[in-house]
Amino acid sequence: MSLAGRRVLVTGGSRGIGRAIALACAQEGAAVAFCSREAGGAAGETLSALRRTGVLAAAVQADVADAAAVATLFTTVREALGGPPDVLVNNAAVTHDALLMLAPEPAWRDVIETNLIGAYRCCRAALRPMIAGRWGRIVNVVSPAAFLGKEGASSYAAAKGGLVALTKSLAREVARFGVTVNAVSPGLVETRLVAGMSADARAELDARIPLGRPGTPEEIAAAVLFLVSPAASYVTGTTLHVDGGLTML
Amino acid sequence: MDRDVLRAEVKALLAEGLRLELAPADIPDDSPIFGDGLGLDSIDALELVVLVEERFQVSIPDEEIGKRAFASVAALVEFIAAERGT
Repeated sequence: MSLAGRRVLVTGGSRGIGRAIALACAQEGAAVAFCSREAGGAAGETLSALRRTGVLAAAVQADVADAAAVATLFTTVREALGGPPDVLVNNAAVTHDALLMLAPEPAWRDVIETNLIGAYRCCRAALRPMIAGRWGRIVNVVSPAAFLGKEGASSYAAAKGGLVALTKSLAREVARFGVTVNAVSPGLVETRLVAGMSADARAELDARIPLGRPGTPEEIAAAVLFLVSPAASYVTGTTLHVDGGLTML
Repeated sequence: MDRDVLRAEVKALLAEGLRLELAPADIPDDSPIFGDGLGLDSIDALELVVLVEERFQVSIPDEEIGKRAFASVAALVEFIAAERGT
């Protein structure tokens, strides 16, 4: 129970990787809140799963692209968990894939707004209590696209690349206060999207990954758990690539 | 609150909160809080923001206001007094 007594906030936590991170933190004894753009369905199911672990849990409907919603999110989480989060996982992300020449500006901007500025907002809202308490863990979920680029996904790659740079800069700013800031870069992960692919497309993708298969959300969550655990007390400003060897940086 | 009392409180907070090697009474009123004066750098300002906000119930939301508030002990005292309307 390496996270007993900690309060965790995961953005974009109702499904997929965010859900697995929230659950992994709960299984380590932390009180866990997550936000998602949509209430109900997946969010309700994830909240039930969190509660079954026996920890204090909360689900909040919030879009990190909305500054006022982020302010309300942190107030709500503080009340629900009995204090401000001391672990923040910026996982919320959207995609609007299009080749740059054909990508409309509002959609491109929207990706930056959620994936990069949303994370900035949440960091800003989380830092004061972390500095006051002289302990904090921030983990930003990024992507191999940040390091390799990705055709048809320039907005996503740019936002994630920006988030890597934010991670390093903020890590330098707050290190002396006992706050670490790191990133996790998940490669191809077993999700509904991958499951829906044709056998050929799937085989082609797998061939590009040295470990020869997609990862699972739980494998990504394990890396986040490491970064927020006492085992990672001397790790800050770095990116942990959990991608089966795809990037190798 | 009386300015002298507030000034003493601010100096005590600086000395203790930021673990200065100066006694509160030895902190000058008019030299800059960050930079050369007290041996504090701009990142130490983050901690002072947190301490001042918590202690005096004021808000230092951004760099511009922070620069003004932390120009000197005297400026910080005036900032707190103005924010609290005293």
